[in-house]
Amino acid sequence: MFKSLLLKGRTLCIIVLCALSSLVVTAQTRITGKVIGSDDKQPVIGATVKIKGTNVGVVTDVNGAFALNANNGDVLVISYIGYQAKSVTVTGASLGTIELAVTNSTLNEVVVTGYQTQLKKDISGSVATVNIADAKKIPATSSEQLLQGQAAGVTVINSGAPGAQSTVFVRGVNGFGNVNPLYVIDGVQATDMSSVNPNDIESISVLKDAGAAAIYGVAGGNGVIVVTTKKGKAGKASISYDGWYGTQRPLSGNVYNIMSPAQQAVMAFRANDSGTQVLYPDPSNKTNADNGTLTASNVIIPTYGYHGPAAPAGQTTFGAAGVTSDPAILQYYHFDAANPQNDFLVQKFATGQGTDWFHSVFTPAPEMQHTVTGSGGSDKSTYLFSLNYLNQQGTLLNNYEKRYQGRVNTVFSTANNHIRFGENGYVTYRENNGGYNGTQQQEGGPIAYIFREMPIIPVYDVQGNYGGGFDGPNGEPLGNGSNPFALLDRNATNNAHFVTVQGNIYGEVDFLKHFTARTSFGGNLYNQYWWQIGYNTYENFESHTSPNNSSENEQMSSNYNWTNTITYKQVFGKHNVQVFAGYEQRESHGRAFSAYGQGYFSLDPNYVQLQYGTPVTAPTSTIYQPTATESFFGRLDYTYNDRYILGATIRRDGFSIFYPGYQWGTFPSVSLAWRISQENFLKNVSWINDLKIRGSYGEAGNNNNIGGGNAYSTFGSGTGASYYGIGGGLNSITQGFYNSQIGNPKVTWETDKISNLGFDASLFNHLEITAEWYKKSISGLLFPLPLPATLGGATVPSVNVGDVQNTGLDISATYHAKVGNDFSFSIGANITTYKNKITSIPSPGYFDFGYSRDNDIVRNQIGHPIGEFFGYQTAGIYQNASQVSSLPGYSGAAPGSFIYKDVNGDGKITPDDRTWIGNPNPDFTYGVNLNASFKRFDFTMVLYGSHGNKDFNYVKYWTDFYSTFQGGKSLDMYNKAAIVSNGVVTNPSATLPAASFAQAMGSSTISSYYVESGAFLKCRVASVGYTFDPSVLKRVGIDKLHVYVQATNLFTITKYTGLDPELVPSLSNNGSGVNQSAAFGIDYGSYPNNQKQYILGVNLTF
Amino acid sequence: MKRSYSKFIALGSIAFLTLTYSCKKLLNKEPVGTLLPSVLANKAGVDGLLIGAYSMLDGYTTTGGTSWESSIDNWVYGGIASDDAYKGSNTTDQPTAVPLENHSVDASNEYLSEKWASCLNAIQRCNDVIREIPLVKDGSVSADYAKEVIAEARFLRGVYHFELAKMWRNVPYVDETITYSAGNYNVGNPGPIWDKIEADFTAAMADLPKTQPQAGRANYYAAEAFLAKALVFDHQYSTALPLLTDLITNGTTSQGAKYALGAYQDNFDAVKRNGPESVFACQMTANDGSGGQNSNEGDDLNFPAGTYTGCCGFYQPSYSLANSFKVDPVTGLPLLGTTSISVASFNSDNKTTSTSTVNAPNYNLVNLANDHGLTATDPFTPPSDALDPRIDWTLGRRGIPYRDWGLCGGETWSRGDIVPYNPTKNVFNHKDIGSTVDNAAGWAQNQGTADNYNLIRFAAIYLWRAECYIDAGNFAAAEADVNVVRARMQNPAYWVHTYINNANPEGGFTNTPAANYKIGLYTGQFAANGKAYALEATIMEEKLEFGMEGHRFFDLQRQDAVYGGPAGASFMANTLNAYIKLDTRISNPVLNGSSFTAAKNELWPIPLNQIDIEAGKLKQNPGY
Repeated sequence: MFKSLLLKGRTLCIIVLCALSSLVVTAQTRITGKVIGSDDKQPVIGATVKIKGTNVGVVTDVNGAFALNANNGDVLVISYIGYQAKSVTVTGASLGTIELAVTNSTLNEVVVTGYQTQLKKDISGSVATVNIADAKKIPATSSEQLLQGQAAGVTVINSGAPGAQSTVFVRGVNGFGNVNPLYVIDGVQATDMSSVNPNDIESISVLKDAGAAAIYGVAGGNGVIVVTTKKGKAGKASISYDGWYGTQRPLSGNVYNIMSPAQQAVMAFRANDSGTQVLYPDPSNKTNADNGTLTASNVIIPTYGYHGPAAPAGQTTFGAAGVTSDPAILQYYHFDAANPQNDFLVQKFATGQGTDWFHSVFTPAPEMQHTVTGSGGSDKSTYLFSLNYLNQQGTLLNNYEKRYQGRVNTVFSTANNHIRFGENGYVTYRENNGGYNGTQQQEGGPIAYIFREMPIIPVYDVQGNYGGGFDGPNGEPLGNGSNPFALLDRNATNNAHFVTVQGNIYGEVDFLKHFTARTSFGGNLYNQYWWQIGYNTYENFESHTSPNNSSENEQMSSNYNWTNTITYKQVFGKHNVQVFAGYEQRESHGRAFSAYGQGYFSLDPNYVQLQYGTPVTAPTSTIYQPTATESFFGRLDYTYNDRYILGATIRRDGFSIFYPGYQWGTFPSVSLAWRISQENFLKNVSWINDLKIRGSYGEAGNNNNIGGGNAYSTFGSGTGASYYGIGGGLNSITQGFYNSQIGNPKVTWETDKISNLGFDASLFNHLEITAEWYKKSISGLLFPLPLPATLGGATVPSVNVGDVQNTGLDISATYHAKVGNDFSFSIGANITTYKNKITSIPSPGYFDFGYSRDNDIVRNQIGHPIGEFFGYQTAGIYQNASQVSSLPGYSGAAPGSFIYKDVNGDGKITPDDRTWIGNPNPDFTYGVNLNASFKRFDFTMVLYGSHGNKDFNYVKYWTDFYSTFQGGKSLDMYNKAAIVSNGVVTNPSATLPAASFAQAMGSSTISSYYVESGAFLKCRVASVGYTFDPSVLKRVGIDKLHVYVQATNLFTITKYTGLDPELVPSLSNNGSGVNQSAAFGIDYGSYPNNQKQYILGVNLTF
Repeated sequence: MKRSYSKFIALGSIAFLTLTYSCKKLLNKEPVGTLLPSVLANKAGVDGLLIGAYSMLDGYTTTGGTSWESSIDNWVYGGIASDDAYKGSNTTDQPTAVPLENHSVDASNEYLSEKWASCLNAIQRCNDVIREIPLVKDGSVSADYAKEVIAEARFLRGVYHFELAKMWRNVPYVDETITYSAGNYNVGNPGPIWDKIEADFTAAMADLPKTQPQAGRANYYAAEAFLAKALVFDHQYSTALPLLTDLITNGTTSQGAKYALGAYQDNFDAVKRNGPESVFACQMTANDGSGGQNSNEGDDLNFPAGTYTGCCGFYQPSYSLANSFKVDPVTGLPLLGTTSISVASFNSDNKTTSTSTVNAPNYNLVNLANDHGLTATDPFTPPSDALDPRIDWTLGRRGIPYRDWGLCGGETWSRGDIVPYNPTKNVFNHKDIGSTVDNAAGWAQNQGTADNYNLIRFAAIYLWRAECYIDAGNFAAAEADVNVVRARMQNPAYWVHTYINNANPEGGFTNTPAANYKIGLYTGQFAANGKAYALEATIMEEKLEFGMEGHRFFDLQRQDAVYGGPAGASFMANTLNAYIKLDTRISNPVLNGSSFTAAKNELWPIPLNQIDIEAGKLKQNPGY
């Protein structure tokens, strides 16, 4: 045993000696050096040191140091992002300290584009890069928030709800359906980036024009957002911690401007509303009202409200109890959640300002995020792993997002770095309540009930059960709202769990000197499980007797994409050629399951399981349409003399949803650029550092807006839709079938033809500008062309019919400068404009969309932008009967109701007088990044704004008109509604219709009254930080320590009267994919995204 | 080194080619979760398609509307648009129903487009059955069976076209040749289609059996009754007469029971469904696993609010309807004839009134005493007027037993603050709530009932025959038929009685009538007074017998001379305009100041979206 070891040792020695001697023979020397930056004189970590003309190279370690074997006379090229590359000739074993000069231009930045990386100066297409350092200054809880205001051409609309996804458009809304960009995350195509830890992101590029995005073919038409995550760097292992803790503060004040219970009582008498007057039975009220002396200070509001079948003796069975101030009623209190029909509930009415429903559910909330990242490696392998924990408690009761994420990215190389393989991957586990599934922005959401619930109603009744609309006199003078506190309080045990696994593995090999082959297999596994418990809502007038219930839902999906490419790269003379070709295939599938039960003995969340309830409906499962895409693509990049740049791409895609014969499409693009600054006539113009003009044209597609069975006529069955009790029994039905889908095989993708013209300039050594003009014509929008009812009720097929055209400008500029040794600053600004116009839509040339209790809010019509609001134009208030008869009128017009504009001049107000009342598309959105550093202090401010867009404040439907449902009503109504006496308006300055419960047309119908400016400027972030002296920290083993305090949404400048003008689309308008973008900018009660937040953060590296 | 990575390339290439080859079928992905037509080409598939055609009877919508817009009982179009009832609820709840009630409707109304779509959806389901039969090649469908199935499909197609025809009169006729692939789907509406509807029913009669294994299926007599009804609507009384006589003499239900007039209230009781009076009914079911979707969803809104049901207070019986049950205290006959009176009616501003002279029906000179404006604690005694006993099965009024729910709370039960009456016929008995009411939770808790809706019930056969006899000048025979219907109600067992114990309404009823009920027979007045009287009495009888069953609007329409009816020019307009004036003696913000336009509002406007889509083929009805 011992002997054999000894033998082995001997063999080993010989091998080592041979190896050493071979080193001597090739006369290579171990070269060492240290790289520092010219700006801060700090070590440059991760700079590439390469022997010119070879693939041999290393990366500097955390001290900026490197070591590699080279020969005397070799030229080392040292490069790092943000610095000018420097060549150093090897003259001895030590090269000492090498200083890299800061580049004032980003032209040599490496930019990740479609399937490859390019130097910025060589790019001929439109690629916006997000400055990750700037972007990360916003404490993003969802990664797409990083994009807001950071890249020209990208519009991001955030929801304030924890865990809610943002809406992202590249170059504006350009269709009625799903217009989300394609995300490519480490080579894996995805529909969003929200589950990527913002701290893990290395770079984000946005491919905007055909020159850049057409390489993604049928999926690239909406733009492509390419995300790469960080890799480990060779050198000593480093561990860093990034964390922050903060608190978010709800908006303050009477945010919905709600009137007090006393004011509301006065309105009931002003409106002559006998139904509601029963709430205020004190005879003095009626007397004073008749005398015209009733005011909010003398109106008498009862102390108690009560109601229920188990009424005091002498009442009828259904207990139509009146309301008095008699506390004796308390003894009849009876509550039985299992038999609510026997309830007799009593509540003590809220006085003064009434219940502040907003602040009953919005309270300050803590938030924190922690990320630990470890990375390191050698020249043969690197690794990075990170762990992330996010806990964002919403300011809204029981809304939260908790996220746990782990990432491992590794790279291995062998064969002298000619063969590389690795993986990028992460696992995310999320728990969410509230933000998930878009519970806000709809009339049945908890936020909508904040203004729909009357302030006279208390949070709790006299026994500590919830107060509500039930506990009043019979009928519904307390309205049909829901107690928002009850609604959210009961959500405490609801939960949604998400698990996402995403990543790729890849291999790369260099061969025949100029070729690289790469294969990458990646994908996404997703699982979502949510359950919720529904309580008997005894406090409501409607559904007082509804049984308790629960539902459980699961959804899983998976997809993969497998990408194979071969790249050829060669430089000969003044010609720089790069060609690559690829093959890709993708598949996806998924299923969902949901079940429902009701009538549980107990709602203890530890007890409730579906089998303990009554299954009212059969469980349902859904198979998502499996899809497959198969693609061939290629790209040519050619640069002559570093001056003339040609890029050309072609892609051929086959997509399974389309019928054979319509599955395959070809998407070409070509782009040209001229680095005019390289020409002799400009070379001597000292203030032009670099100037490139470029243009592109090409085609991409969009295949999102089509259902799986579109090509086929199919039949289905549904217990409601096609079963029937043919046997005559009370409770038995027989299965039947119905034609569920009409098929049309002759349907294919939407085509986006994109032209782009622009320039990139680097001027005065301090200023960089990129400006672009584009035109994007989308033809063949997939649209379910309405068919006559004569064809029955089957789903009509989507066909390629609508056309839309977007034009706009994207401009971004950055100015950076240094004043003295201690002060430097930069200002970055970007602006995005787009105008969209519908150019074709099937007969009758428009379709209406956008939920309201009245007509649709939006008309999408040829010649108009997508989503434009459509309704009556108000023109004041009828002051008297003679105005009613002389001005164009309508049925129900009376003194005190709205005058509408007679648009078609036919002398009467009809639906034909509806007109264009506001465009929700902004003229432009903009972002400004201010950065400054003074000595060790740094200062940052990020501003974001939107200009020229209109919002439709549908909240006013509930709050501003007496004729809509009883609920919280606005002070505007109290102060500004017309008061009519003897047929004459006595307050001519009135801007709102007279309070009356019978004026649907003259008051709450869709009109310009609801339309407000949605423009805003938000200070998204302001922060001050301090970086500790590294030389001091070194002594305690710390490489870097940065602490900062930060305020989010420090101010919002807007004229919008609702909570927040930044409005995410409503679930009410996302009925189907084909109309997903057909209506937006409508406020149904949104979660405010302008709440102030204060955080304290640390960045620490060992 | 070179060798080793060329190995990688070789291996990679092989793997690449293998995978690419194996994925040749990659793009073949068939639709999921549905059936292709070939799967249904057998007996079970055909049977299922026929069930799917029946399942549209309840007006279930698969096209995005709501079931109350397309309800088979036509509570909107037949009920609130006539003098039977108001929309109810708060004035602004369901604002699109307002113009339907006050005759200011335009062609863009979503209710109308939903009713239109629902009927045509059903018609194409019938056509799917007929189209599928030739595709069956496996021998599972015999020629005889095919004929019977086609007969049922054509019967249903006739029923659904009939719904279209009564609403719009000028409607497309869509048979099995109309398909997407044929491209012939822009079907015009050049005029009435009674001949085609009659042809479908005639063909159905030829092949339908007299009894059926399942109660829900149409039999020979159901087809005969619908054919007779179509002929009556088409004013072909002499052709209808022998059919009606055959139905009265020989007709049976599909279960073989001889047609008969039994207990009136059983027609509105889920447990007593498919009785001898049920010529053809839509079968409603509850607790069947569908979450209430096969219940009488069309009437979801039509319950007193805040009782056993929390919602929604629609379909409130009108003052006029209640008044019409007044009878002569001596003869027990309805108060026919009119008197010119001066009436102060509310204007559309809901505040002021205008006085005008109205030819008021004699029952409608003053309102029956009611609890309008009273609170629950105010005392109220129901009026002692002599009343037709059908009143308290038709509407709920203060202090009278409301089924087995307790004494009706009158206005305190009705949502909104206009009407003291509540709908009754579509309401369940509380003792049967477990089996006849769907337990699905939601805003409409307890509002999905298994109450069948009788599209035709036997009493109508007598009254239609009376119309035919009047047309033929045989007034005595007409009077005899009307008397058959009235005589049934003379049986006190069919009256509402007081509770044994008001505090325990499910504890049963006494033998004491709940009000002063009286109903008498005609004794030769038809012959003595001639055609106009006979017709007025028959139309009145239809109103009283079928109040709140969704027929009234269409009965007025078919009697009006504008489309060939015998009751004279502007009959419908005069009736409804008088009704509006009289019923707005008490402010009604929906009806105040409104009016019915003759030669226009008898028909509904063809949905605008359909006119637009059909690109010129579909023409609008007159006046719109």
